[in-house]
Amino acid sequence: MNAPVSPASLADLSMTEAADAFAAGEVKAEALVRACLARIDAHDRQVNAVIRLDRDAALAAAAAADAARAAGTRPGSLAGVPMMHKDMYYRAGKVSTCGSKIRRDHVPEVTATVLERLDAAGAIDMGTLNMAEFAQNPTGHNAHFGHCHNPWSLDYCTGGSSSGSGAGVAARFFYAALGSDTGGSIRLPATLCGVTGLKPTQTRVSRAGVMPLSFSADNVGPLVRTARDAARFLAVTAGHDPKDPTSARESVPDYEAALTGDIRGLRIAVCDTYFFDGADSPVTAAFEAAMAVLRARGAIVTRITAPVLPAVAAYTAIISRVEGAAIHANWMREHPGDYATHLSARLYGGYAIPGHYYVEALSRRGPLLREFVAQALTGYDLVATPTLRTRVPSLAETDIDADPENWSRFMAVSANTRPFNYLGLPTISIPCGFDDRGLPIGLQLAGRPFAEARVLQAADAFQRDTDWHRRVPAL
Amino acid sequence: MEPELVAPTMEAIRRWSGVTLPNAAARHGLADMAGLIAELDKLRGTLVFEDEPSSFEAALQDCKEPAR
Repeated sequence: MNAPVSPASLADLSMTEAADAFAAGEVKAEALVRACLARIDAHDRQVNAVIRLDRDAALAAAAAADAARAAGTRPGSLAGVPMMHKDMYYRAGKVSTCGSKIRRDHVPEVTATVLERLDAAGAIDMGTLNMAEFAQNPTGHNAHFGHCHNPWSLDYCTGGSSSGSGAGVAARFFYAALGSDTGGSIRLPATLCGVTGLKPTQTRVSRAGVMPLSFSADNVGPLVRTARDAARFLAVTAGHDPKDPTSARESVPDYEAALTGDIRGLRIAVCDTYFFDGADSPVTAAFEAAMAVLRARGAIVTRITAPVLPAVAAYTAIISRVEGAAIHANWMREHPGDYATHLSARLYGGYAIPGHYYVEALSRRGPLLREFVAQALTGYDLVATPTLRTRVPSLAETDIDADPENWSRFMAVSANTRPFNYLGLPTISIPCGFDDRGLPIGLQLAGRPFAEARVLQAADAFQRDTDWHRRVPAL
Repeated sequence: MEPELVAPTMEAIRRWSGVTLPNAAARHGLADMAGLIAELDKLRGTLVFEDEPSSFEAALQDCKEPAR
């Protein structure tokens, strides 16, 4: 921080700015928590991002952080920073609803490894956030806790499933939030709410103590203000975890060290296959403007095709539906009426998919990843696409519970994000403009497996020359 | 007009999984699967005998960025 932090601007700081200000003694953790609580008190009645607010515990944790710092204890990299998390990260002894009626009173006996790592880095956990029921929709509808509303325009979707995470970061309720991403559930709320969201490489972050949706495609990652925030958050949370044997044993690099702003010679492929089908003109215009920004920084942008994508899209539709149907089967038999209409309808279809297609989808995943890399990431460092092809949809026009005819519009929301879950690639969404209704547009960047540093490097360079990520919704 | 696949699929789900139609939207969702079936039709024959799920982890490793 170069300048003293004024109290009025505290809630507008990025996560890393808040952490660095605390570490430098420029701001107290209590002031950061109180700035966030004031925003929540003023605006969550409109946004409905919060499920449980642990006000007193957050203030007590802040007081402890301030006392430790005053005593000369070296702060962790996220010390003093208030966060809230999607209500599917288990903390022993605390209710974790998973956004559902079925688990409204569920008290887990374990704590998620990612929460333990954030705790160890000094982050302050203020409570839990609204989400799609069992993380199963891309829009942010929730029949049990109320829909989450887009802070930029309350009648519009936040994106899901990490709806409260995206809306709350945008509304300046906290500096960072955990989301989860099985088909776009981090990147979609990031896009629709105008914040930054990172889906790491499949297996990069432990899923121990996290509600399952689809064990083949679930990912853990942050929604934050900036690429730098995402870099620091990932550095804290990534790395092998013995409690999650599927987590990768890759070493965790210093992601922030990659954020040099220098992307001269970076090769970006714009894939004309699939990702622009039916795209709205404000989206394509913002995307092209974003490419111009990256070109001006020295990136080389090339249009390509990737004929493998229709196969990827078809198989993507199978895995999470079948795995979701399997783990919900008992509840679907015994009390399907406890699910929202749209969720039970979606799960129901999973029972119709033949098992051999499920195995085929899993078995083709490796070969199709190799084909995609050969077609789109050989000779190129990153693939760029719009995160959402259309303008942000309204809550009404994607509400299946109200009208089943909205089905195809609802399912189309995640068309551009789902393929990267199947492929397992690290992918970020960053704000790159606003549409004619004043709602955000997102740019999606994907890299090779475990190339989060490259993805973050490009996103950070873009954010050095743009201010879309700094804009604050007028609630 | 509802695709003819809906009613027999409902019966297959009931018989195999013990799950009955939860609501009208679910019927709509089943009708929507005609598109997925068509996509999968186009992919018939692409799976080879030796393909298996664990090849994905190997592909993640093999497809990492080459050293610069």
